[in-house]
Amino acid sequence: MAAKFIAHTELDAWLGRISERYRALVPRREGNAVVFRPFDPAMPVELKARPTESPKAAVFPRCEALLAYKYEKDPEEPGRVEVEVAERRDGVPTVVIGGRPCDAAAFKTFDRVYDSDRVRDLNYLNRREMTVLVSLVCSKPATTCFCHWMGGGPASTAGSDVLMTPVADGHVFETLTARGDEVIGTELPDASDAQMTEARKVQAAAEAAMGEPVDVGAAREKLLALFDDAGFWEAESAKCISCGVCTYLCPTCYCFNITDEKFGHEGVRLRTWDYCMSHLFTMEASGHNPRPTKAHRLKNRVGHKFSYYPSLHGGNIACCGCGRCIRSCPASVDIRAIVLNAIAAPAPRPKG
Amino acid sequence: MKQAINPYLPSVATIVETIQETPTIKTFRVVLNSEEAMRNFTFHPGQVGQLSVFGTGESTFVINSPPTRMDYLQFSVMCAGEVTAKLHSLSAGDQIGVRAPLGNWFPHEELKGRDIVFIGGGIGMAPLRTLLLYMLDNRGDYGDISVLYGARTPQDMAFQYELPEWLERGDMNTVLTIDVPAEGWEHSVGLIPNVLLEMAPSPGNAVAVTCGPPIMIKFTLQALQKLGFQDDQIITTLEKRMKCGVGICGRCNIGGSYVCVDGPVYTYAQLKALPNEL
Amino acid sequence: MQHLEELKQQIRDRLPALDLVIGWEAGFDPLRATPLFMRQPDDVDRLIIGPQCVHNLATHLTGLKGRKIGIVVKGCDSRTIVELLQEKLINREDLVVFGVPCSGVVSVGKIGRKMGSLDYVEGVEFSADSVTVASEGVQNSFALEEVAADKCGRCQYNTPLLFDVLVGEPRPGDVVDDYADVATFEEQPLEARMNHWLEAMDRCVRCYACRNACPMCVCRDHCVAQSRDPHWMTQEDTVENKLLFQIIHTMHLAGRCTECGECERSCPMSIPLLLLRRKMNKEIDALFDYRAGTRIDATPPLLSFKVEEEKINERGW
Repeated sequence: MAAKFIAHTELDAWLGRISERYRALVPRREGNAVVFRPFDPAMPVELKARPTESPKAAVFPRCEALLAYKYEKDPEEPGRVEVEVAERRDGVPTVVIGGRPCDAAAFKTFDRVYDSDRVRDLNYLNRREMTVLVSLVCSKPATTCFCHWMGGGPASTAGSDVLMTPVADGHVFETLTARGDEVIGTELPDASDAQMTEARKVQAAAEAAMGEPVDVGAAREKLLALFDDAGFWEAESAKCISCGVCTYLCPTCYCFNITDEKFGHEGVRLRTWDYCMSHLFTMEASGHNPRPTKAHRLKNRVGHKFSYYPSLHGGNIACCGCGRCIRSCPASVDIRAIVLNAIAAPAPRPKG
Repeated sequence: MKQAINPYLPSVATIVETIQETPTIKTFRVVLNSEEAMRNFTFHPGQVGQLSVFGTGESTFVINSPPTRMDYLQFSVMCAGEVTAKLHSLSAGDQIGVRAPLGNWFPHEELKGRDIVFIGGGIGMAPLRTLLLYMLDNRGDYGDISVLYGARTPQDMAFQYELPEWLERGDMNTVLTIDVPAEGWEHSVGLIPNVLLEMAPSPGNAVAVTCGPPIMIKFTLQALQKLGFQDDQIITTLEKRMKCGVGICGRCNIGGSYVCVDGPVYTYAQLKALPNEL
Repeated sequence: MQHLEELKQQIRDRLPALDLVIGWEAGFDPLRATPLFMRQPDDVDRLIIGPQCVHNLATHLTGLKGRKIGIVVKGCDSRTIVELLQEKLINREDLVVFGVPCSGVVSVGKIGRKMGSLDYVEGVEFSADSVTVASEGVQNSFALEEVAADKCGRCQYNTPLLFDVLVGEPRPGDVVDDYADVATFEEQPLEARMNHWLEAMDRCVRCYACRNACPMCVCRDHCVAQSRDPHWMTQEDTVENKLLFQIIHTMHLAGRCTECGECERSCPMSIPLLLLRRKMNKEIDALFDYRAGTRIDATPPLLSFKVEEEKINERGW
């Protein structure tokens, strides 16, 4: 594993060279949002402000075709229509530069579901294997950051292929995996001892700035205990407007919809992001909906992340603490507060 | 090395026969186009499949033919939404997609030697049919078999081509019921839970297998408890909105249990341990 | 502060007869407020008012139909209530409106651009016409009009148009909104305008916050965006498809949009949606001399039917 240095003045040229080999996704400012876009030498890379969206779309696109189909008349027997179905799987070698450690750790939440003992999602895994994560150490936490509650940290290496630490005149790149080595290569100068010392200081200061983590492990049982407490969930969800901001910006939200689109005699079956705060998410054809109100739906969103998922996946919480759901929520719904309120809520009386 | 099977890719299948069971229920008998795939297809009673009408979408239905009769796979579809409406417009010769088998199944091995009480309401009889026929095809493995099948009216009763046999067989006890009296109806009249109480099957070493609309299930469970059935003597099978069918897409969960992979078959004891979100 | 205490008292007085009262409380940092649903007298203690109270709380009203609701409104928010009443989407008898005259609300986006980052806001102070923000060791003061939401710069309705209780001194509004921003945009060549929208819509993630934050978006769970029957829109993630939704949204808001700007404010991707809505409003104003939510006793033009509209000369040409 190597440690290299890139001066600020060299970064764009280096990104340009990376772009020749990979789809290089970098954060870019558009309006007040910071979004991941393929590197464009004409557009500045935004490494200071935190990205508004997570880089999950690099691996899990907002929309992808799972298959294509075509109806064709049998030339021998015109009354007979055959359907041809073909798998669709695409993806290009990709490097994400400037995602944060929380973003990289979040892919582990996906992996446990998309690559399990009972099922392998080949469309996901295909892109996942082609994607290299170069994560930028957060030198300062934001008000909405709580990665350390979730076992992460602003300089955590979990899930990243390369860790990128800001130092005085540039960045130190430390490779963590073979794939990371492949991206970084040998062309860059090694980081000097002084630069390494500075990088370690930045990392340590960032970790120290997070303060004491809060243990939310108790939420796992408590959220189940509060399941039938409609009053609690109505109060917690009152200001929610049931939009998809929290889920679509979330690095760990992995739910999707499957729908068919038809163009004449052919079409595609699409996988698109879906959100559990949508009324239609669980709506059944009969008209019955097991989660009829936003209180039911928010309960599932929080329950899934902090109770059901951990109980299925070795205690791992399906949240990386990036805080995007809080910062970008039109109503500033704060998932930390909901979880802490749940833990603090009086235990409901036992049933019966 | 895990197998590289695309979980979202349906097999193309051809509808070989359709049966208009009731005004709203149509049955499809389908055969996979690949002879090899059809020959190698195995499943257990209670498992489900996703049927595709390409261009419209997918929906989940139980395979209601038994694994002991593999000339075709049978699905009964109640017309309710977009996919089911489109399915109802199809006929023999049309091609659809099939992703199956999915989910868990009735514990037919563990049920050997037990008395079985089937209680089906409306379209809820479909998932019970697969287990019933499987047991009839392995009749010696099981104890007494009773069937209580109810529908709103005689016209709403599916599988009419089989009912005479069920009624006549000496090795099973079949009771049919409708909600209100109708002309020419020679069987029971009354709601399923009430007829069940009249039938009064003995809990002994019996297991009740039930499926039907939520309101029927609610009162049937009460009736079964009144008759002395324990929670682990009651098995049911659930329906939820599903998309992926393989435990990923995140909508059919009841707490941490995914109906598409951990279900659809649950004992009442298992259901009671899950959050209350049916 | 004196007005805040008076407002709290008014709310406490009326709370017993109401199911709840909606106001604002402090959010996750001093610059962000968040809606507050007051059910108990204790809840009222958390109420705040000020330029950080940006949310149009009237968005929640249609979802609370049938309950007795109190609501705190700014002038612009009251326009929404007028429009909702005119469309009979809410009942006046079920509503107690607590009006608060307003001198403008902040745009977090504008402050963010000036500060560079608002990731760690340590403190915020508001005065009558300025705001001082301390974030990550930097402290800056801004004139309120410099960092206020765009809508505030053209607002003529600083005092709510409709209220049961008014707390604070009424403020006259003397600004004339001539849709200059729309006119300026329209001066650009067609291709430039199209490119503007294609570029902006390209970053849309289809979270539909614009729709759900819109108080006049009342199709709720039957939205064209996700409906399969009729199947108007594909789920394909194309920019044309996403722009199509915004055009439909804008058309559906013709003569109804009160320009509260919640669509634009709630967009995490910073897409300037209000300009589209205002373009439609400019046309409606030109045709019918009407601006949604500004005349309590009027019948909105698209809710009325006149055989001969004054400015639509369908028989004369």
